[in-house]
Amino acid sequence: MTNETEVVRREAAAPAQREAAARRAAIVPAVDIVEDRNGVTVWADLPGVPKEKLEVKVQDVYLSIEAEAVVPTPAGLSVTHAEVRAPRYARSFSISSDLDTSKIDASLQDGVLALRIPRREAALPRRIEVKAG
Amino acid sequence: MSDFFFGNFGTDLFREFDRLQHHMSALASGLPTSLRANQGQFPAINIGSTDDSIEIVVFAPGLDTSKLDVSIDKGLLTIAGERKRPEDANRDESRSYARERFVGSFRRVVELPSNANPDDVQATYRDGCLSIRIGKHESSKPRSITIQ
Repeated sequence: MTNETEVVRREAAAPAQREAAARRAAIVPAVDIVEDRNGVTVWADLPGVPKEKLEVKVQDVYLSIEAEAVVPTPAGLSVTHAEVRAPRYARSFSISSDLDTSKIDASLQDGVLALRIPRREAALPRRIEVKAG
Repeated sequence: MSDFFFGNFGTDLFREFDRLQHHMSALASGLPTSLRANQGQFPAINIGSTDDSIEIVVFAPGLDTSKLDVSIDKGLLTIAGERKRPEDANRDESRSYARERFVGSFRRVVELPSNANPDDVQATYRDGCLSIRIGKHESSKPRSITIQ
């Protein structure tokens, strides 16, 4: 983690989200963040979340992930042991202006969200030809 | 032992330390200090019961079900498997800023109550959650006794 970090983790980023998080308890999902020359990829573990309960939002420089897990429970269930207590996930990140938030590609498979955020054209690394003579 | 020190020296060793630390902190504190999902063991498990069944939910996202092993032996339910890092993450020229998601093989064991019926088990994997339903023996189900 250096000053060059493209995606900085900020748990309590936007004030609105902080309030929302305070209202209802939510789990901070585990993420992997990898940057390559064309952009940044974020993977987040969201077990139990169907596509329609997932919301990925971009507001100003913040990217937020909010999701709700749907676990089928039979009637008359009494829980005896719970390691997952809140069926909600929430996490937000601030995004570098080098990244193009209008072209985010999101896919959710088996409870893993993959977000691909491409770099802006102008921010792509370029090789400059040196002419001899 | 030599494999442990020389075979996968590097990230694997540190990952083992991470796991050990998670495990130790879970033992020491008893209660989690925050709701952060990557605390404690992978995968997280919720257990409940109804009159007819024992319901177990395993929060295990991103698994290949063919490599997931669920078995019951002598009253112990074992869930074992392996999770790999996505291939893209290992590309050259890439920099990693966060590696919180669990990678590696895992094994979790749940002791079942004596009234669990190992012949009546259903397991389904959906949206990264493995739901296991184990029936209870008929004789253990609650019933009302009529007074004559």
